[in-house]
Amino acid sequence: MTAIQPMIRLTDVDICFYVQENGFVSMKDFLLHPGKYKLLQKSFVLKNVNLQINKGESFALLGKNGSGKSTLLRALSGIITPDKGNIELFGAVAPLLGLGVGLEQELTGIENIKLSCALMGMTKAEIKQRLPEIIDFSELGEAIHWQVKRFSTGMMSRLSFSIAIIKQPEILLIDEVLSVGDLGFQQKCLKKVMEIKDNGATIIFVSHNFEEVSNMCSRAALVNNGTVEFVGTVKEVGERYHHLFDN
Amino acid sequence: MTKSPLFNKGFQNAVLSLALKTIKLRYKNSFLGVFWSMLNPLIFLTILIIVFKQINHIEHFALYALTGLIFWNFISASILQVLTSFIDNAAILKSINLHPFCFPLSAMVAAVFNLLLTLIPFFVIMFFLGYDLSWSFLAFFPFTIITAIFVLGLGMLMGTINVYFRDIQLLWTTIIPAFFYFTPIAYTPELLSENQRFLLKLNPFYYFIESYHDIFYRSAMPSYENFGMSLLLAILSMAFGYVAFNKYRKGFISNI
Repeated sequence: MTAIQPMIRLTDVDICFYVQENGFVSMKDFLLHPGKYKLLQKSFVLKNVNLQINKGESFALLGKNGSGKSTLLRALSGIITPDKGNIELFGAVAPLLGLGVGLEQELTGIENIKLSCALMGMTKAEIKQRLPEIIDFSELGEAIHWQVKRFSTGMMSRLSFSIAIIKQPEILLIDEVLSVGDLGFQQKCLKKVMEIKDNGATIIFVSHNFEEVSNMCSRAALVNNGTVEFVGTVKEVGERYHHLFDN
Repeated sequence: MTKSPLFNKGFQNAVLSLALKTIKLRYKNSFLGVFWSMLNPLIFLTILIIVFKQINHIEHFALYALTGLIFWNFISASILQVLTSFIDNAAILKSINLHPFCFPLSAMVAAVFNLLLTLIPFFVIMFFLGYDLSWSFLAFFPFTIITAIFVLGLGMLMGTINVYFRDIQLLWTTIIPAFFYFTPIAYTPELLSENQRFLLKLNPFYYFIESYHDIFYRSAMPSYENFGMSLLLAILSMAFGYVAFNKYRKGFISNI
């Protein structure tokens, strides 16, 4: 038995959304009574989340729409900082939160690769070094020089998946993005994800496709009303997840 | 306190890449490219020369008007670009881990770059209109950085509020034409009587446009008053803008 090594640890994490609900009235109150009124109202999206995910694990998050799964992934990728509690990550994270985000229709495939990599925080030198690899993986051939607006949806997904995956992540966050593209592309993505997993990476997976989840993951958590209600094997969590829907 | 992202190489590259994208997109698929950025001031210049020259009895009024127009366009357009930068980049903001300061900053960088690009042909026109090149021209570069800081701060302040109250964007596009007439562009401050002139100085844009008039119309260094006030306004605007942005950016994702 190899020792269990934590890869992600969340301790008492609270995440709030800040919304202004009263429109102009709240602006007026805010300006007329300084300090007394808050401009934004706090509402909890995730409350008191404790979760540990270990190295090499494939972990699924199950839950209804709006239960806070995506917010949890955003927090793990650093897009949202928690209001309370701690998120510890023991490796580099690659979020696959939305394929095609940041792709600019008017630019060519190559220009888009450079732009997306830059947005992901890579330096010019790193991008130059990785560029051939990305082009190669995308299998877009000549089309890489086309403007992205001439791409089909599948080609676009290929491009953005190739970009997102390039950093050899130790933690991969996947938010229902594998269900895009044609069958061939889906399988290729899945194969790549498996390959990354076999190299020892940790994968966190959000999907409503239970079959996909049970094929890929060993453990899962049930997210409901902003809390992690239950952590267990995929089978156990799956049963509870299905229970949520029968009244 | 979080460390400033400005010193991070990846962040710098992200800002430059976004700015470059903005510039590329602006001129892609158009034959006349930079010309379009010049057309608006040239049309206005024609009107000002025909109509307003009659009330402004100064030498080289056309040069005065053109200088004002170029930099007024720069300031008013770039404030709007910075203001809307958070909303324009909503998708990226929601799915890529990138410091949101990147968006206003890259909008500003793109605007300055665009200014430099259009200034080259405008320079030729300015010579025709009687511009007398002098060393004071060099003041243009540091002064434009001060202007950019002012614009960035003000744009970020309004941009932050605009995420929660989209009225700001509409308000700004509504009042900006009024500011055009409040700022000495179509007329010189001397047109107003001594005791009315203080009114003009309540307008923060006054000091920036007048400094550019100093540099390009009067071929002199900006006056102490114009330069000092511009610098002060830039610092204040940036301080308020950044503090507001930093305080309220935690709600960006839930409101965009």
